[in-house]
Amino acid sequence: MKEERNEEPHKSESLMFRQLESIRNVMMDSLMKNYVPFPIDRSVCSAWTDTLKKGGDTIIYTSFMYQLSSLFRAYEKHLSTFARMGGSSKLASLGKFFIKPDKDDLRRGYRILSNISNILQKNGIDHGYLYDDEPYSGGLLLELGMLDQFWEYGSRVLELMKQHGVERVITVDPHTTNAMIRLKEHFNSDLEVSNYLTLIQKYSGNGQYVFHDPCLYTRYNTIGNRIREIASTAGVEFVEDRMVTSRDIGTCCGGPLGPVNMDLSDRIAKYRAEKLLSLAQNVMVACPLCYQNLKPYVSNLKDMAEVIG
Amino acid sequence: MADEIREAKLNVIGNLDSYVKMTMESIESTGGKAYLAKTVADAQEILKKIVGTGKKIVMAKSNVAHEIDTINTLESSGNSVSETDLGAYLIQLSRDESSHIVFPSLHMTREEIGRMLHKELGLQISETSTTEEIVAAVRQLLRKKYMEADIGISGANAISADTGSVVLVENEGNIRIDTVLPPVHIIITGIDKIVPTLNDAMKEAMVQSAYAGLYPPTYLNVTSGPSSTADIELRRVSPATGPKEVHVILLDNGRMEASLDESMKEALLCIKCGRCYFSCPVYRVLGKDWGKQPYGGPTGAMWTAIVNRDYATAEYCTHSGGCREVCPMKINIPKVLEYIKWENIHTH
Ligand code: SF4
Repeated sequence: MKEERNEEPHKSESLMFRQLESIRNVMMDSLMKNYVPFPIDRSVCSAWTDTLKKGGDTIIYTSFMYQLSSLFRAYEKHLSTFARMGGSSKLASLGKFFIKPDKDDLRRGYRILSNISNILQKNGIDHGYLYDDEPYSGGLLLELGMLDQFWEYGSRVLELMKQHGVERVITVDPHTTNAMIRLKEHFNSDLEVSNYLTLIQKYSGNGQYVFHDPCLYTRYNTIGNRIREIASTAGVEFVEDRMVTSRDIGTCCGGPLGPVNMDLSDRIAKYRAEKLLSLAQNVMVACPLCYQNLKPYVSNLKDMAEVIG
Repeated sequence: MADEIREAKLNVIGNLDSYVKMTMESIESTGGKAYLAKTVADAQEILKKIVGTGKKIVMAKSNVAHEIDTINTLESSGNSVSETDLGAYLIQLSRDESSHIVFPSLHMTREEIGRMLHKELGLQISETSTTEEIVAAVRQLLRKKYMEADIGISGANAISADTGSVVLVENEGNIRIDTVLPPVHIIITGIDKIVPTLNDAMKEAMVQSAYAGLYPPTYLNVTSGPSSTADIELRRVSPATGPKEVHVILLDNGRMEASLDESMKEALLCIKCGRCYFSCPVYRVLGKDWGKQPYGGPTGAMWTAIVNRDYATAEYCTHSGGCREVCPMKINIPKVLEYIKWENIHTH
């Protein structure tokens, strides 16, 4: 009995390493060549707008998160299979398999990004967009502790921003916000990093929701209170309970565990969804990955940028 | 108060080598015996020499004692060892693993406990017994064990470098009896538990108690060497009523190395209050299956790297971040785990 228990984690640990190694190798290869995390059709990512000016000193920085959130999940889901099959070379050759994000997800991502861009305009915050020159932030490398690779690739991201004359990026999701803040600190860069939620003053909305805090907003960049301010000013009611939605006891959705252990990631999502649903049936998130992770367990799920405008 | 302890501990961690020496000298000056064990195997050897064979031993829950596998080590050299903390005793009887650093039997239900005690010990209790009945039955049993014990083993919440005093905080009363009734008291603790002064040690115990749950603590114990008296012509003689021998085994097992690493040394600030467990989604879902005994939960992901050189446990951190919010020692746990992940991936 005891032996079995000791052997199991051992097996899964070596599989986990192979998975992580695969991600590191394949992702670094793709990032260093094309600034994208995996082989994708860039025009699919930038097609949400054709009205914004190209570039400029202030840009909206999507880092593909809202466009490709379903792909991140699918990509991670298949990694364990490929790692078991023998690693990164096969994974790379099968890259094309992942090219198309789910149509509904993509349309939803477009809508959200357009809405965020409109709110920014409404608030007088002029911004451009890098379209097909936009790089991925490298956030996944950071969150998996692949710090050497994150700094290596991140320096290229900062360099690219400089080449385009970008002085300020307006981020729209927690993962990119966190990655850019870490890069800025590490390289002591002048690039200004602002999250759109900290910039907007005029907006409206309605409804009653339980809000699932993205950990990287609420417990890291600490804009959880700002989100609550926005909701109450807009006329959106949040149902709160210390055991579920407080900063210290509320928890993440398990999303970041996807590449390490998809099953555990799912179990945490289910656990989190149950807690949220015990307070209200309408759940609000502010992160595309939280959305993907909670979606199987929550039917009335909305991003903040689908509720305020 | 927690901030003062953080500062005091940072000071010790920055000069751990000299604080270990100072603490050992202080212990010896109280009439106790101090030992420094570099590894688990060293600690086991020291322990076996002190204990010998054929002894009856009572033990108060100590994570460091579990780190060196005290029960198996002593039982395989012909001794009998019984846990006396209720939670730890239940774990020992059911041959299970601890699920929380402060509440080891957190995963067991009252019904399971009743059933198990009946099966293992033939006690007149069952799955329908009340919690009061279970506690009373175990109390009877343990009281008998204390009376027969040759040796009491405990850990330490804190140990002071200036006086060599070991401070322990508790509610059950088992630590007080374990450390006073048997003629020999052995303390097994980590060098990370050293604080500069007795005052700091008392404060640390208070913070531990406040964050671990039940406050005020029912008992606060201080041990500075063997019992003694100066009641006859003011000449101090030892022993008096309490133990005649006090042995303190200080375990390194990776702690010194961690103290020299800028990123890892934060982990040594942990006072094992167990608060971070409840803010962690991975612990809430996996419980005792996350981490290696005896250290689980978020702090365990750091400590498993220090004492077991196991870096894979940290990979499960989702950077949810609640642990950092509640930690009285203000340890940036996700940052330490990010570092361990990096160690893992770049050395693998
Ligand atoms: S890491 Fe902090 S919260 Fe967790 S057990 Fe240690 S002191 Fe307590």
